[in-house]
Amino acid sequence: MGKKYLLGNDAIAYGIAEGGAEGIFAYPGTPSSEITHKLIELSGKYGFYTEWSINEKVAYENAYGVSLSGKRAAVIMKHVGLNVASDAFMTSAYTGIVGGLVIIVADDPFAHSSQNEQDSRRYALFGKIPCLEPSSIQEAKEMAVFAFSFSEKTGLPVMVRSVTRISHGKSDVSMKEINFVHRKSSFEKNPAKFVMVPANARKALKALNEKQECMRKELEEIPFCCEEEGNETGVIVSGISYQYVKEIKEKDNLPFALLKISSYPVPENRISRFLKGKKKIAVFEEGDPVLEEIVYIIAKKSGSVAAITGKMDKFLPMEGEYSIETVEASLKKISNKPLPSEPVIPVLPVRAPVLCPGCSHLGSFYILKKVFGKDAIYPGDIGCYTLGIQLGMIDTCLCMGAGINTGSGISRFEKEKPVVSIIGDSTFFHSGITGLINACYNRSNQVIAILDNRTTAMTGHQPHPGTGETAMGGKNAYIDLEKLVAACGADRVVTIDPYRIKDSVEKLEKIKEEKGVRVIISRRSCIFVEKKSVTPFYVDTAKCTGCRLCMQIKCPAITFGEGKAKITRQCNGCGICAEICPLGSIRKKNNGQ
Amino acid sequence: MGNNKKCDIIIAGVGGQGVLLCSDILGEACIIEGIPVKGAEVHGMSQRGGSVEAHVRIGGIHGPRIPVGRADILIAMEPLEGARFSYYLNDGAFAVVNTAAVPFLGQSYQVNEILDIIRNKTSNLITGDFSKAAIETGSLKTLNIFMLGIASGKTPLQKESFLAAIKKSVKEKFVEMNLEAFKSGTDMGK
Repeated sequence: MGKKYLLGNDAIAYGIAEGGAEGIFAYPGTPSSEITHKLIELSGKYGFYTEWSINEKVAYENAYGVSLSGKRAAVIMKHVGLNVASDAFMTSAYTGIVGGLVIIVADDPFAHSSQNEQDSRRYALFGKIPCLEPSSIQEAKEMAVFAFSFSEKTGLPVMVRSVTRISHGKSDVSMKEINFVHRKSSFEKNPAKFVMVPANARKALKALNEKQECMRKELEEIPFCCEEEGNETGVIVSGISYQYVKEIKEKDNLPFALLKISSYPVPENRISRFLKGKKKIAVFEEGDPVLEEIVYIIAKKSGSVAAITGKMDKFLPMEGEYSIETVEASLKKISNKPLPSEPVIPVLPVRAPVLCPGCSHLGSFYILKKVFGKDAIYPGDIGCYTLGIQLGMIDTCLCMGAGINTGSGISRFEKEKPVVSIIGDSTFFHSGITGLINACYNRSNQVIAILDNRTTAMTGHQPHPGTGETAMGGKNAYIDLEKLVAACGADRVVTIDPYRIKDSVEKLEKIKEEKGVRVIISRRSCIFVEKKSVTPFYVDTAKCTGCRLCMQIKCPAITFGEGKAKITRQCNGCGICAEICPLGSIRKKNNGQ
Repeated sequence: MGNNKKCDIIIAGVGGQGVLLCSDILGEACIIEGIPVKGAEVHGMSQRGGSVEAHVRIGGIHGPRIPVGRADILIAMEPLEGARFSYYLNDGAFAVVNTAAVPFLGQSYQVNEILDIIRNKTSNLITGDFSKAAIETGSLKTLNIFMLGIASGKTPLQKESFLAAIKKSVKEKFVEMNLEAFKSGTDMGK
């Protein structure tokens, strides 16, 4: 079938299709989202079902249900999504599965787009399920395919751990013809296996523990592992670091022995054989020293005298992702070769990500600050609006859905300052709604601003139940946010348009002094969703006095020079600046102006 | 660099300038010629007007990222972003740098001072207001393909492969416009 140039995530998607998943469930999150986008694209051709679920737990349980009906299923998420799904994840290892169930988790070492750098391999070990770790994009695709049959062989969910550099790397990939097989749906009642009451859970744990040895044996022969002979120094490596090690080894002809590990549980006998006769062992892996800890144990068990180096003795960094430079310097140290010179990196102003010109959040933040003041407490959440940190408008960001609850906690004892929690529409459906119900029922005293831009913007504009659209393009009845919020028990629900500053400020001034849970729905589509032709604005320089009020919006399209504001061609025509300009010096462009 | 069909290319710019499309076209061109290729790019948070970098490794079989000091070509769609990644260049590398700055909140800089950082790394560079040139040949949207055209002659890839890759990677209604931009770029790069 030849080769394709693919994004790592696209390659994983092809692997999932090739593996025969009939039900695919995901919640978007960088760096995992493109896997599902590609699968949506492929779903028509092969007739499988793909869904953007409202959160990762929901996605996981759906996939589990598909698996119990005998069909293959996949669930896709970023690393922190597994925290949300973890309740289902942990016990699904106890019950086991029927149709192959594959969990694709994309870790984000260096937290390029995340709130932490947690290592999903720990979860696989915690849940006692197999984990496969690709070292290349081609391998990521092959592992996704392999994971389904291995899941059925072991009767357990199987995790494939990607990282940013796999998911967002690109490579030429050898493709295979996909012969998609649809199975008959066949849920068979088996309460002893699937109903985890204590008596069954105790038995299930015993069975799960007994499976461990069988899993380990199977993985001794896993085809992805490979080994190169060498001198008395050995390098054990997992994941993308393998590519860096290989590149330097080949470039400088370094004579160390090399063992690539591709699974957890690790092939213990293989490692033990590799340790024989070695004086020095270095372990390379991204994330926690998971493999390194295991190598220590195997060395102890096998009586190896090799000195082991890695993260635990601070030879390699504990945090962030490895670069080829880090790996090169470390390999040269252990090979007693001269170190490469340190690069001189120019110190330049950082171009941080910002909210787009015309972003409705800019209006929402301006309005909230105007009404509640800069001293109000603004617990935040996860989405584009987390960038409100640059405007001093996001005071906390912990995890999906945490904002409303953090706000409830703060406001329980805070009597001086108003508490205004900020959450996006997709995040609200993901896990904000439980916080709202709790806040209403347990009588919290706060304002909750739902910034409803009609999409999941940050991760690439996925639909959610508020949009009336589904992953596969279906049109369903959307969930009415106002009615939903009222049904949760909110004392007051006010809808505003973040482009209409004066009007919105007036509406919010009325609820400012009220008590109880007051929900503001600030609704305006993301500029990328509502694709309409825009009429940009301009500054009438004769009228502009340079008061800088428009600069407070922090719109990237407004600059300042020679004592006047200027609107650049980035303008998306939202008109917020025109509305707040006290002199009326910002105007819509007419033709030819 | 042309002989063994190995060439490491860094493409730098600002979110929205089409850095990733350039990387796709280079990759497709490699597939067409049967040359192995690897790449790395930045998605997500960084795309909200932030810096965007893509690495393309023509002839690459291992790592997705180009080692510091070993890139053969830099395509910079914005001067500051070019300077930011200039430390990746090897001695004698080729750089094509757009001098049209994209300003950002709270920061201003002298384009000439910024260009000096790149000049200190290599004297083999072409600079110019390519945003203006792209607008003149059709649209600012083709800046990326125009600049890819300028650099294309320095890669080991054939012109025909680029043209075929553009046809494959660009939406049908924009193909003609981009092919024009690419050709104008190649003429300038000669």
